[in-house]
Amino acid sequence: MSDILQTLSDALADAVQQAGRSIVRVEARRRMPASGFVWSADGLMVTAHHVVEHEENIRIGLPDGSQTKAALVGRDPNTDLAVLRAESGGLTVPVWAEADAVRVGHLALAVGRPSGQLQATLGVISALSHSPNETHFFAQTDVVMYPGFSGGALVSASGQIIGLNTSALMRGASLTVQTPTLRFVVESLLRHGRMRRGYLGVGVQPARLPKALAEQIGQKSGVLVMSVEPESPAERGGLFMGDTILAVDGQTIENGEDLVSSLGGGRIGQSVAVRILRGGQVQELQITIGERG
Amino acid sequence: MDNNLLQQFNDTLADTVERVQASLVQIVNGRGAGAGTIWHPDGLIVTNAHVVRGRHGLHVVLSGGQRLPAAVIAYDEPLDLAALSVEAAGLPTIALGDSRQVRPGQWVMAVGHPWGVIGAVTSGVVIGAGAQLPEVGQMQPGREWIALDLHMRPGHSGGPVVDSAGRLIGINTMITGPDVGFAIPVHVVKAFLKERLGTQKMAV
Repeated sequence: MSDILQTLSDALADAVQQAGRSIVRVEARRRMPASGFVWSADGLMVTAHHVVEHEENIRIGLPDGSQTKAALVGRDPNTDLAVLRAESGGLTVPVWAEADAVRVGHLALAVGRPSGQLQATLGVISALSHSPNETHFFAQTDVVMYPGFSGGALVSASGQIIGLNTSALMRGASLTVQTPTLRFVVESLLRHGRMRRGYLGVGVQPARLPKALAEQIGQKSGVLVMSVEPESPAERGGLFMGDTILAVDGQTIENGEDLVSSLGGGRIGQSVAVRILRGGQVQELQITIGERG
Repeated sequence: MDNNLLQQFNDTLADTVERVQASLVQIVNGRGAGAGTIWHPDGLIVTNAHVVRGRHGLHVVLSGGQRLPAAVIAYDEPLDLAALSVEAAGLPTIALGDSRQVRPGQWVMAVGHPWGVIGAVTSGVVIGAGAQLPEVGQMQPGREWIALDLHMRPGHSGGPVVDSAGRLIGINTMITGPDVGFAIPVHVVKAFLKERLGTQKMAV
């Protein structure tokens, strides 16, 4: 009974130590070093985009205390992720925590290695924000992002890596990019060197739907098209200012974030059905999604 | 899921805190109260140098409310440590832990009098320990600290930081942000007492 606290304390420190076998120090900016972690045993690493200020002479401090050089593979400012390739092999790949294993209220540790030694802070999962596809899986926590923790890992009570911590995406809150989005972005960066995102060519704002229609189609709002760029996929597909977009390729669009997440790289070059409200009538257009440059 | 687990956890926390609070004192220095920790039953109390700096008429208030005049018997400004002596015997001392074995992520609690709230407890985990911590590493090279992920406030100074078993691992000393505090590792405190007081009052 009296050792429950000791058990908890040991479990937390064990979780830090286990995940720490994959957590590295990343020196790629003038100020203090940051953190990152191993993606593949043959030298791929992930870190935060905003801590990679210089692309030359990136140095990695490995968990065993040794140093190695790394090159930038690609970066995505939207999710604050960067992929590095280090000149080393035989690295320890973390055990990943899948998104559905993470619940609001769970204990989680932010773990970094900015000084070369492991450092950790403790908090709980405050909120989860999950898009219908893998483009936007974030966890918000109340962990303290100690200096140099960006690019480090959010670690579960069992020592699994929940995602990559960043202090740059949202002021005053600690955000973690969870494993589905990590995989999605890393795979795209490895394949294309950049993040491919679909392009429609519209400016939008959320708009509440008329009550009768909302009840009929089971959705409260859509996005109102405020502008259409000339020569854009939207213009070519016949979208007009004043149209309200309700769905893209069967995916419900209730706000701007839904629209962004519906335009993932996978749909580039494809002709998709776009459901709109025009003059009180629901219509469907076929639009070929472009690529954002 | 298992409500008993959280209940046990809470009960254990409270039991541990109660033991620690018994050896916690207030140090009344004329402008407010700092905290101190009873090190030896014959009245040896450890606190921060900045809690007693330049003050006369120091008093120590024990957890039971007894108020005793105190004398500074050792003082080190750079280390921010001081030892006080009060006329007493059989005082409840704090159990000592091993600050050389501190692990990042381990559970810790700090006890003190934040904003004058007597014996208040805050808990969190060890961020890291040693001489290479980002915020303090440059201030005094080579000096060792324990960085703590917990809510530290004025009035915690001089109070104990304990591990999950209630053993002293450090003395609260400094706040660098609302959620980050620094403690002086207990092995540094031991060395300070040994150097300044010899071993006669060190039956630890």
